[in-house]
Amino acid sequence: MRSVGGLAALFLLLGIAGPWLAPHDPTQINIAHRLSPPGAEWLLGTDALGRDIVSRLLHGARWSLGLAFVISVAGLCIGTLVGLVAALGGRLADWALMRTTDTFLAFPDLVAAVVIAGVLGAGTGSLIFALTVTGWMRYARVARAVGVSLHSRGYVVQARLAGLWPAAIAFWHYLPSLLSSLMVVWTGMFARAVLGISALGFLGFGVQPPSPEWGTMLLDARIHMRSTPLQMLWPGLAVVGCVLAINLTGDALRDRLAEKDGHR
Amino acid sequence: MTLDTVSLSLAPGRTLAVVGQSGAGKSTLINAILGLVRCSAGEITWQNAPLCRCRPAVVLQEPRSAFNPRLSLRRSVMEPLAARRRTADPARLEKLCDGLEIAPALLERRPAQVSVGQAQRIGILRALIAQPPLVLFDEPLSALDAIAQKQTARLIADLQREEGFAALIVTHDLGYAAACSDDIAVLRAGRIEELSRTEAFVAAPETAYGRTLRNAAFALGALEHAA
Amino acid sequence: MTGLVVGLILRAGVVLTGAALATFALLWHAPGDPALAIALARFDTVVPAAVIDQLRAEAGLDGGFWQAFLAWVAPLLVGDFGQSSVTGRDVWPDLVRAMSYTLPLALAGLLVGLIISLPLALVATRRPGGWLDRCAVGVAALGASIPAYWLGLLLIMLFAVRLGWLPATGARTPVHIVLPAVTLGLGVAASFTRILRSGILDARAQPFLPAFRRRGVACRDIARAHVAPHAAIPVVTVFGLELAFLLEGAVMVETIFARPGLGSFLVGAIEARDFPKVQAVVVFSALLFVTFNMIIDLIYRAIDPRIGEHNA
Repeated sequence: MRSVGGLAALFLLLGIAGPWLAPHDPTQINIAHRLSPPGAEWLLGTDALGRDIVSRLLHGARWSLGLAFVISVAGLCIGTLVGLVAALGGRLADWALMRTTDTFLAFPDLVAAVVIAGVLGAGTGSLIFALTVTGWMRYARVARAVGVSLHSRGYVVQARLAGLWPAAIAFWHYLPSLLSSLMVVWTGMFARAVLGISALGFLGFGVQPPSPEWGTMLLDARIHMRSTPLQMLWPGLAVVGCVLAINLTGDALRDRLAEKDGHR
Repeated sequence: MTLDTVSLSLAPGRTLAVVGQSGAGKSTLINAILGLVRCSAGEITWQNAPLCRCRPAVVLQEPRSAFNPRLSLRRSVMEPLAARRRTADPARLEKLCDGLEIAPALLERRPAQVSVGQAQRIGILRALIAQPPLVLFDEPLSALDAIAQKQTARLIADLQREEGFAALIVTHDLGYAAACSDDIAVLRAGRIEELSRTEAFVAAPETAYGRTLRNAAFALGALEHAA
Repeated sequence: MTGLVVGLILRAGVVLTGAALATFALLWHAPGDPALAIALARFDTVVPAAVIDQLRAEAGLDGGFWQAFLAWVAPLLVGDFGQSSVTGRDVWPDLVRAMSYTLPLALAGLLVGLIISLPLALVATRRPGGWLDRCAVGVAALGASIPAYWLGLLLIMLFAVRLGWLPATGARTPVHIVLPAVTLGLGVAASFTRILRSGILDARAQPFLPAFRRRGVACRDIARAHVAPHAAIPVVTVFGLELAFLLEGAVMVETIFARPGLGSFLVGAIEARDFPKVQAVVVFSALLFVTFNMIIDLIYRAIDPRIGEHNA
């Protein structure tokens, strides 16, 4: 648990402080040194335009983690709102919102994200939109399911009987009980967003060059696969390490919650 | 469990006890009154308006779960007032706390930090704080130990005399029902088997089933002090 | 049961209508003039405004949103996916051809996933918490974190570039499917292993099993009658989830391996702004997905008596 937390914290730190740690300008083109091997000056070498790979990776951490954070939190807010309104808003609202959720779930989500980002035109804005629109449904389902299970809790019955405003009931009595389950979903969706951002970047529909983003870097590196195969390794390793850290944190969180529930 | 042609009435200030064995439909009745289940037919009213409009209060069987575990007891107690956009009258709160033997400091704790008996008395405090005309008691004593049962039953009776609310007590404990109520309704398999004045029921139940129940309670010694 | 099936079909209908509407709305509001895109694709030169207007009318784009939507949906109901706005040819035969590449890939990926995960989960659950179990859990966690496109590139680098054992790109011979299928299958195996493992452990932890054992029921009989059916439930769930993974995984994997199929069909259509093709892929995958989930739902209800009919 501690080592997992440490790994996750390291990536978080890189995401925040990465740009300051970078030894070079990530977008500084230097054709004279293109495709340099790893060495003292360039720790992991340079890419086809002579840009320092270490610096690009460090700046890329901010793109990947920052955007993934924005996307997963936006999904969390939308999904929780939808789920709570469905749970509390009566049968018609429940039916309408849950069928809407099913509708969005009817697309394989990366395919949908590719279509949305591609159709709206490549760029950071459409990337965020595409991954948020395809990433709120799990929260809605969980929020609704846990919400419905709370309906017959004593304090919820009491609050409804007292005539408390539904939004206040949702905020004080439903939301706190939802948070732990939503956090587990959130870690999963955060990892999914990191993967989604790099996948769209790799397909050319994501963050646009010259911004250093791991998926876009992989796309560039792929062209020089035969001459400098090491180039492909680094952005991929960054994605894997990052996603692994988030996933393991999520697993640990889920285990701890399950344990807590078991003791009750 | 379905209820069929259950018709009950209750006047302000009076107490009606609904007794029955497990599975007789007691919790369905409570849930229907609380609006947790929909009635396919019939209506539940208070003074010619839907019952929920009079904002009845309820005291639930499991005292601790009646409070949000994350909020202080004071916040939960004040909720009926907050819903009516009113603030607590300190004198009334003090009087009720006094009557219910609740130390004011207890209210600052979380539900998990008080005993079940204390939680149930604080539950009664929350039910009464906004002066509801009707209070429902769903097995108010069954989670308590014998001493707390006796104390809580006495406090409910005292408060009712002072506050003058109507009480509907649903219980399987005929001894308690007989001790506290004006009328008794016997529920069996979703129907009202018998509805009588309490003294009349204890003396001589009208139906065979009523007699069985009463004799069982006598045999356990639960009815002695009431009879 | 019939009522349940009808209910599920109705629900699927509502969901599919919503899906079609959402897709159409997205493309309708997409930046750029689709008629201009068609003109550019067909004539490759600057064209007069009159021609563009004519193209717009041909494509049914001159009316309002609902008119255009109905013009698209009505033929869809009888299986007509419309014509490519770029080539003018029917979309459906092209889509079928793309699927004829993607379906074998998805099945091969599923097979690889099963071949890896089933033995792994069985061995791991022999001694829960033992080193084999820990290894399996670790490998599964790692597998779930590796993006398919990177794994594919690594495999190409190793087996095609360095060792030269397997072809990397295209789909000329059956051997070409090996690397893409392994790429896809490793991802499937990761989630399969996790869910199978916890399914088997849950099934073994059922509270009534020790009582059977004490009464002397043979271990093998317990396993067959009580553990296996219980462990089957999460497996069915996983098949439902894996379909999504296989479809989107196939899109990525096909792009890396430059394989013809749904992935390149979709990416090509998006890049050419050939919206009828994009719509066709999206609606077709939604149809597949919803139908498949409906079947999974029915199987689920058949094997798990605890799921009541009321929450249909």
